[in-house]
Amino acid sequence: MYIDNIVEGFYNVVHDSRVLLFVNYDIDAICSARILQYLFRCDTISYTLVPISGIQELRLAYEENCEEVKYVVLVNCGGTIDIVELLEPNEDVVFFLIDSHRPTDLCNVFSSSQVRIIGKPEAEENIPEFDDVFREDSEDEEDKSDNSGGESDPEENRAAKRMRLSEEAILKRREHRLWTEKRDRFVFNYTQFSYFGKASAVRMFELALNLSKDNVDLLWCAIIGVTEQYLLGKIEKQQYILDTGVLQGHVSKLSHNVDEETAEAVATPVTAPRISFIKDLQLALYRHWTVEASLRHSMYSACKLKLWSLKGERKLHELLVDMGLPLAQSRQKFCAMDMVLRKEFHSMIEKLAEKYNLDQLVFTSFILQHGFRNKFCASDVVYSMLALLESTSRDRSSKDCFLEAMDALSRSKKNLLEDGIEKAKLMLTSIFKMVQGALDMQMVVSGGPFLYFVIQEGALNARHFSHPHTLILLAQFLLQAHVMVKKKSLNLPLIASAPLNVEDGTCLVVGIPPVIEDSPRNFFGKAFEQAAEKTNARAQLDYFDSSIMKLKTEDRSKFFDALAALLS
Amino acid sequence: MPLTLTQRCCHLLAPLIPFTVVFIHLSDDDGVRQVFEEMRGLYDQNVAAANDSTADPDGTAISSIAIRHAALERNKRCLMAYVFNRSKKLRNMRWQFGSILPPEIKANLCEPEIQWFNSYSKCLARYMKSIGGQGLNLAQDVKPPKSLYVEVRSLIDYGKFELDNGEVVLLKKHSTHLMSRAQCEPLIIQGVLEQINH
Amino acid sequence: MSLCQSYVPNYFSIQDILATQEKVPCKFEMQVKHLGFLDPGSDKRDIEIGTSIELPLWMASVLNSQRPSIAEVGLPKIFKEAYRDIMKADPCVVDLHKLAQYFYEFGMCLCMLKHRESSEISSVLVESFKQRFRQILDWAQHSTIEVPESKKLDETEKMIYHMGREVGSSLYLWLTEGGSLITAADMVIQHKKMKLTQKDLLH
Repeated sequence: MYIDNIVEGFYNVVHDSRVLLFVNYDIDAICSARILQYLFRCDTISYTLVPISGIQELRLAYEENCEEVKYVVLVNCGGTIDIVELLEPNEDVVFFLIDSHRPTDLCNVFSSSQVRIIGKPEAEENIPEFDDVFREDSEDEEDKSDNSGGESDPEENRAAKRMRLSEEAILKRREHRLWTEKRDRFVFNYTQFSYFGKASAVRMFELALNLSKDNVDLLWCAIIGVTEQYLLGKIEKQQYILDTGVLQGHVSKLSHNVDEETAEAVATPVTAPRISFIKDLQLALYRHWTVEASLRHSMYSACKLKLWSLKGERKLHELLVDMGLPLAQSRQKFCAMDMVLRKEFHSMIEKLAEKYNLDQLVFTSFILQHGFRNKFCASDVVYSMLALLESTSRDRSSKDCFLEAMDALSRSKKNLLEDGIEKAKLMLTSIFKMVQGALDMQMVVSGGPFLYFVIQEGALNARHFSHPHTLILLAQFLLQAHVMVKKKSLNLPLIASAPLNVEDGTCLVVGIPPVIEDSPRNFFGKAFEQAAEKTNARAQLDYFDSSIMKLKTEDRSKFFDALAALLS
Repeated sequence: MPLTLTQRCCHLLAPLIPFTVVFIHLSDDDGVRQVFEEMRGLYDQNVAAANDSTADPDGTAISSIAIRHAALERNKRCLMAYVFNRSKKLRNMRWQFGSILPPEIKANLCEPEIQWFNSYSKCLARYMKSIGGQGLNLAQDVKPPKSLYVEVRSLIDYGKFELDNGEVVLLKKHSTHLMSRAQCEPLIIQGVLEQINH
Repeated sequence: MSLCQSYVPNYFSIQDILATQEKVPCKFEMQVKHLGFLDPGSDKRDIEIGTSIELPLWMASVLNSQRPSIAEVGLPKIFKEAYRDIMKADPCVVDLHKLAQYFYEFGMCLCMLKHRESSEISSVLVESFKQRFRQILDWAQHSTIEVPESKKLDETEKMIYHMGREVGSSLYLWLTEGGSLITAADMVIQHKKMKLTQKDLLH
């Protein structure tokens, strides 16, 4: 069921007991968890936080931690699956779902009280009516009607009764079959596309707002959550603009401190944290990198200028010259460039955006400033946290990375953020190199109704791509670039695959929708499921985002064949 | 007679020089025994020489007796210092590790030292119980507390931990918890949990 | 919980015991029977008058304090004229770790024997300590290395150095308000590190 009043339906309910928090491995979830942690800390609601990456891990973690716990909060996980069936909890355990994954599983939507979804169902979700999907009297009616022969009117003779009963039975069966077909159609339409709803971090910020505990740090977490959704292509630009508009309102409210009695503006200390609303450029990490590198490795500019080719390089140099930026300066770190050039960079590139086909270069975003030296813009923080989250190595398990990404949001741990920015530079560089290599060697192959791209096991930097987010970024970059090269593949989706674990022989497969549709609705979830069933491939649809899955490398080719057959 | 007098007891003391070895080293039972033998030898010689003073009219035996006596005193002093300093280290360990020592360290102790450690723990417990009528845990709140509940992160797979109100928390590596300070303080000091700084 | 280590002769102090173990040359004025083994050079049964043996200070003070005194105590090498002049010239460059590990303690014990050169010895001790102390203070406040092996300090100075570092870090903790974070006990952290290194070695 849905809970509209988040304070009464959720916060006051868990107020006096212990809470179990399960958090997914994505930035939005981490931001929401931080807001929740802050609120719980204020009100000393004791909690246990466990990071989980997949459905199996959720089940395991629940089994281990469920003793004596009555309230379980799932952040960005579990919305799209039937929780009660998966976890088999006790009757009195209540689950609160804060999930931006859509479509929400119908069993969760129509659960009477055990599963409570925080928020309102949005209009475009098109949730079918309860009666269309669930029916109490499904199979029993048939049996009952067959056995109710003993109660009939004793005057009817046997033959007539049998005829009447069998007619009723046939009618009932026919009605049941029609209803089942309709139900299947509803369910198919509902679950066909997977997409994302409102960011969980924003919902948590609203909770804080209603409790009057909102402050700049929590607002920053919400901003990061929304920015992550935009940068990873989870929401459309329109939605992003709407969301940032709302957040901007909060920003101006929080930064305008008026003393109530005297109605004068209270001077905040210069070093207090404050957020400003700015027009930012879609150049990744340009404040911490060289201008040339940033132009080259950002998806938008690289694709529009075709920077993987020689012609593109020349265009890049032209652009720099037009801006009045000497090549030597553009190869220096941004903060080491001349003051004049730095100040004018933004305005110059805006002016030239149209000429070079970069009209969408400017977008609205936020900057956090605290102290005199610390200035971070939201997209920088998102890239940094992504890089930290996916920088597993021999010494750092994925859970270590999760905790580090979570710590990177706190203001006192600036060095983590800077470390993450360095890692993000490496990540973006390897993505660009992979795209360049793929396009040069024409490795993006058409598999019929879709394109696919496979990173072989021994390839350079293959281990960078054994994480879902990096692979998704690569896939998006690759598809955009490919479309610039071959215009006719505008309406083809892309499936990318990278080796996951060389010893186990598994690989990671992600699917992204075609470029022509602006909306990020992804039909690969259902497609993967059906193809895996058909070919009996050893696949694990373990991730909460259904467009990502694990597969045994040997089964990959027949899986793709089945997928091609399914989608054509 | 060894050429070197009282050198053995200096070997006993070498590892106890402050700041050289952090933990207690293996108890040198052999060394102690050798020192005892040396002392016995010296004593016997002294007794023999003293009884023999009739054979030595000009009193030159006094000097050798004096030297041997000084050596005996010296050995005694070294042994006492050895025992004393080891006990001091053990006492320090009681406050750092709690009343149960890790097995690697316990393997380095000799039997009397283990008994001493246990009786020290008992004395300490008895004293702490007697403070103020209802007892006071001196090992708690070593640093002044700032809040009633603290956020901690588990560093190892500790397993289930029961709180005072009966709830059970599973302390698995990488999980984060908000718990009351009093209950998780001993775990933090033991190194199982880590407090998070914001 | 800690007794002061050894500025006062302390029965249990390890530093005091080891300092008094340092050798001084003793010239025997009386014959000592049966203790010829103390002289590594000779193989006689007794010690003859006039032999000079290097004996530890505790034994030398016992020999000296007997009336009539059994042996006369000379000065060890480090306190002779030549080295005293070196120490007067520039104490900071002398490597006390190699020359005399218990320079100050030893010197103070020697002075207590009321030698005829005691006053010069005591003045050398005080002057060199004054000058070297400044360096130790600087190192303790600003160095990042734990063990000053390369710093040519004797044991007393090492102790001062370590105490300085401990005090400095506790002041820093107090000033940075980090005092409220509960931390694992120092020994526990070091114990863990030791276990990890042992595991690494085994693999």
